[in-house]
Amino acid sequence: MNRTTEPLRIGILSFAHPHVEAYARSLLARGVEVFGTDLTPYDAGTQRGAELAERLGIEYLDDVDAVLARAPHGVIVTAENARHRELALAAFAAGAHVLCEKPIATEPADALAMVEAADAAGVTLMTAYPVRFAPSFRELVARVRAGQFGEILAVSGTNNGKIPLDRSWFTNEAAAGGGALVDHVVHCADLLDELLGETAQEVYATANRILHADRGVEVETGGVVSIAYPSGVIATIDCSWSQPDSAATWGGLTLEVHGTRGSMRIDPFAAHISGYGTGGATWDAFGSDLDELMIDEFLGAVGDSRAPVPDGSVGVRTLAVVDAAKRSVRSGLPEGVHATA
Amino acid sequence: MNGVAPPMTTPLRVGLIGAGAISHAHVPGWLALGARITVYSQAGSHELAARYGLEVAESLDELWPGVDVIDIVTPTSTHAEFALAAIGRGKHVVCEKPLARTAADSAAVVEAAERTGVRLFPAHVVRYFPEFLAARGAIAAGRIGRPAVFRFRRQSAAPQAAWFFDDAVSGGIVMDQMIHDLDQAEWLGGPVRRVFARLQRRGGAVAPVVAAQVVLDHESGLISHVHGTWGSPALPFSYSFDLAGDTGVLRFDSARDDTVRAVFPPVEPGGYLPETSGAESPYSVEIADFARAIRSGGPARVDGADGVRAVRIAEAALESIERGLPVEVQPTGEVDASTDDTLIGARA
Repeated sequence: MNRTTEPLRIGILSFAHPHVEAYARSLLARGVEVFGTDLTPYDAGTQRGAELAERLGIEYLDDVDAVLARAPHGVIVTAENARHRELALAAFAAGAHVLCEKPIATEPADALAMVEAADAAGVTLMTAYPVRFAPSFRELVARVRAGQFGEILAVSGTNNGKIPLDRSWFTNEAAAGGGALVDHVVHCADLLDELLGETAQEVYATANRILHADRGVEVETGGVVSIAYPSGVIATIDCSWSQPDSAATWGGLTLEVHGTRGSMRIDPFAAHISGYGTGGATWDAFGSDLDELMIDEFLGAVGDSRAPVPDGSVGVRTLAVVDAAKRSVRSGLPEGVHATA
Repeated sequence: MNGVAPPMTTPLRVGLIGAGAISHAHVPGWLALGARITVYSQAGSHELAARYGLEVAESLDELWPGVDVIDIVTPTSTHAEFALAAIGRGKHVVCEKPLARTAADSAAVVEAAERTGVRLFPAHVVRYFPEFLAARGAIAAGRIGRPAVFRFRRQSAAPQAAWFFDDAVSGGIVMDQMIHDLDQAEWLGGPVRRVFARLQRRGGAVAPVVAAQVVLDHESGLISHVHGTWGSPALPFSYSFDLAGDTGVLRFDSARDDTVRAVFPPVEPGGYLPETSGAESPYSVEIADFARAIRSGGPARVDGADGVRAVRIAEAALESIERGLPVEVQPTGEVDASTDDTLIGARA
């Protein structure tokens, strides 16, 4: 690859995850050649496939083979969770680096296979954890690294959002791997992984289906996960889809860290201008665009052929937390985390 | 006078047992009612008396004859003994939370008060904080629909008195600090059936800090989680809640209270006593409620059964921490006279 003579080519496989829109915009803004294809089924009333590609201003190709035949330098997988493995492996086989939407897969074995396949193909795998790039999280990490917390005791994380009902696969057990536990535990688990530099050891979780019960949702919509780390640090993650539909913003993520010498709470999505409009309360976010920062990291890694951060292995470790949480909900007991990456 | 609650005289005659930090929160409430206070304490009684204009009793025997109500503000492990002694002399009892160090002792105190016919009020002051009362009203009004996921958070610099870190005396952060929000979890969300908890303590004996996290499953299906921290000296006192139901969410964070903005040179770092944001101290509102209940014979916002229940849940959390496993909690035995069930949507 010679970046001085040709622009980067990035292929997008599936438009199932709405994040595809932000990723496409970021790529185009950086002068990247972007093309992609979508995979059915589509939800009624949603814009997908060639129509969505046209709106986003990216080239639409007929199928996955057609995308990979363009020899993309990198591929972004924004498919339903259960399809990540199949599409990522196809991309690796075509020699492409992959940015995979989170969670990296629905089954730990799939996630592990993806990391191994990337290694075998000599390409890299990045997991889409944009909150890693939040300036507030970077400050938190810097303060931890500088020893300002003393010894860390406990972390409380929340990742609450509106239920993503416009894409029905999010609430389909087979396609998504579960509900709120699958959708919202991994972001905080990833931040904890980076912050603590150790792998979660034991998980207790409880979940319910009270939120959105009237819409026939069959997966868990509320949940709390309690994690123990080998060093003794304790953590919880509230992953509930508890942001009401009437709220002026999608939801948010917070992380609060307590140490022997200091405490810090971050709310990376707090920056906004509030007000009232014709529809009630308004929320206009400002500050860093985390998706753009993440795309920059992916393009940088692809262009320089270096390992991206966050990589595929943290995708495996964070999925292992979700897997333990799901087992704990079933057993009613704390469960060990089986992470091998 | 034995076995019978004395007739109320005016002014109210209060015997305060203990003169530590929390006594400063209780005394103004009694004084505002025109009560006459006599304080007995192993230490600090004369200083407290001088500051607020109280009488001093040099012994319990000297204290009992001249008072109608005993207010216990001593370390937790002594609550039951003082409460039983006061009840045995026919005194009404106000007791700082937790009602006793164990649920069994708490139940014994409640039983003794019922048998003797005196009133007993565990001082769960958070029930008198207006934001929690507002939340209870909003839930009752159906604002959030069916409760789904509640979270509570309470933090401050670690208390300086060593007994707070002696589990045998205080029960630690779970029994002393988090009991406030464990009580709120049931007051706002209905009965709990299962408890899981983790606790982490660091900093050694010299500068201990501790954090604990309790996850509760309620009988209604509601999940609550409670976060408590006694942290570094720099950590200011704050508390928050986030109460999500299937049609809405209620949020409060004392750190975001914007009622007053004021800038002055620092007076003292940290501090673990709840600061009050409004003009009226929740402690004074609480004491006024207890005094009114004693005079009228009617219910107060918190009663002995509530006190037992809170200790029982805290005890289950401590057992969970010890065993590393979830602990089932027996359903509430008696209907709490002070709790209007129709106020709690989760039970509907």
